[in-house]
Amino acid sequence: MSDISPAPDSSRAFSSDTYSDIDVDAIPRLIGAHMPTSGGLKTSLINGKAIGCTAVQLFTASPRQWRHTPPGEEDIAAFLAARAETGIGFLVSHDSYLINLAAPSPDVLERSTGAFRAELDRAEVLGISWVVTHMGAHLDKGEEEAMNRLVESLKAVLEDTDRAGYKVGIALETTAGQGTGLGWRFEQLGYILNGVGEHPRLGVCMDTCHVFAAGYDLRSEVSYKHTFDLFDSQIGLSKLKVLHCNDSKKPLGSRVDRHEHIGEGEIGLETFARLMTDPALLSVPAILETPDSETMHPVNLRRLQLMALGKIPEITVDVLLFGHYSDIFGEESIKVTLPVGSRVKNLAHLLSEKDQRLSGISTNCRFAMNDEYVDLDTHLKEGSIVAATPPVSGG
Amino acid sequence: MAQVWVGAENIDIVSLEKNTAGPEHGAICTFIGRTRNLSRGRAVLYLEYQAYSPMAEKQMLKIAEDAECRWGSRISIHHRFGKVEVEEASIVIVAAAPHRSEAFEACRYCIDAVKENVPIWKREVCEDGSYWIEGEESLPSGRD
Repeated sequence: MSDISPAPDSSRAFSSDTYSDIDVDAIPRLIGAHMPTSGGLKTSLINGKAIGCTAVQLFTASPRQWRHTPPGEEDIAAFLAARAETGIGFLVSHDSYLINLAAPSPDVLERSTGAFRAELDRAEVLGISWVVTHMGAHLDKGEEEAMNRLVESLKAVLEDTDRAGYKVGIALETTAGQGTGLGWRFEQLGYILNGVGEHPRLGVCMDTCHVFAAGYDLRSEVSYKHTFDLFDSQIGLSKLKVLHCNDSKKPLGSRVDRHEHIGEGEIGLETFARLMTDPALLSVPAILETPDSETMHPVNLRRLQLMALGKIPEITVDVLLFGHYSDIFGEESIKVTLPVGSRVKNLAHLLSEKDQRLSGISTNCRFAMNDEYVDLDTHLKEGSIVAATPPVSGG
Repeated sequence: MAQVWVGAENIDIVSLEKNTAGPEHGAICTFIGRTRNLSRGRAVLYLEYQAYSPMAEKQMLKIAEDAECRWGSRISIHHRFGKVEVEEASIVIVAAAPHRSEAFEACRYCIDAVKENVPIWKREVCEDGSYWIEGEESLPSGRD
């Protein structure tokens, strides 16, 4: 029989199955993800626990609306109960994307201040450690003035909440530098922190995708060190309270913010391995904000966890061999394991080393995925079905 | 609507022509690729085709739709896999068009594109063993 059809890929959902081989307690740092709250705030914790999170980020309200219903007492009680039950101690919330604490318009500034305070109120009640906020945008009405407005907004809200005895902190997030957004240069963050003055409840959240898109390279040992040296001198490493771990779909300096799965983007696996084992960052919780949370959070989380344990996360792909190559392994597909982020050319190289009879495969074969021929630079994914096709002879 | 098919059964050429052409088509050009009894100086007993079927059908459909669009024709491409005896058809391409030049050109385009891009391979089974044909190369196979 000479008809070779691949079996369909099985899909994943939030479940603990993926985690059976990892002892979360053995990981020397907190790692988690931004978890959805549909079905109540508590579901972020329950699902987070199920996939192995030791830290969770959530929206306490819809991030794209000014008006929202605050969580009811039942919702809060259920959340606090789930917190105790799951033992997830480190919680982060992300404020609304509409909030601009540097807004030139007094109207928007007032709304933003109100909404931000409401976010802090909710976070305090829920026992959240840090509220992550973007630094707002100057909207072409003067960058320095905008940053001064932000300093004033932060001073005011910190003073107010100090008086109320709040514990929740504010973490200013590094941004990608899209549009007139602030916070993409480390100098800007340094300026704000200096302007507000030392405050234990004011810190910084570094997003790997954002800083990379903003032009700070992290890919080699040298550039990684250089970026963190800059961070330390312009902001202060002790101010780093949350690490958003996201790979980037867009290249270095693109100033476009598009998150990619860990190891599958422009930043690459090595940087995340370095981040996960960097002794200077072990106390900083790492949070994923990668796409397709339901199917891919377990996968991305596992990658970070493995790297924190000093291991290299791998993917397994199925390779179909045709023509004379099919004589070697028969017509069944063969399974090949490679590091996450590998490309078709890496697979071709591995195959050519696997068996002397496959030595010509990288020059002789075209490779195909999803029924289309692909470039040698195409990224492989877990469960990818790759066909190695020698010159065809149909007709 | 282009129609393509990859299967093990004999191709019914007459039905295929009938199903492809409509009343607006004044010309049908049918290409039949057959197993011949001699290849590279070796007597061929039969051919054994291997197909990566889902991809082959997808690539064939792309070729057929492309040809329909370029020459205002209707195209069917059927290809077999498995054993194909001497004198049997391994591939049949039917190009129906209003006039002969479009039919000829569309048909020629399709067979050339199939030979270039469709993931199907043939093994020539001869008296002294069998050989994979991969482009210009003929490689001895360990199979019977």
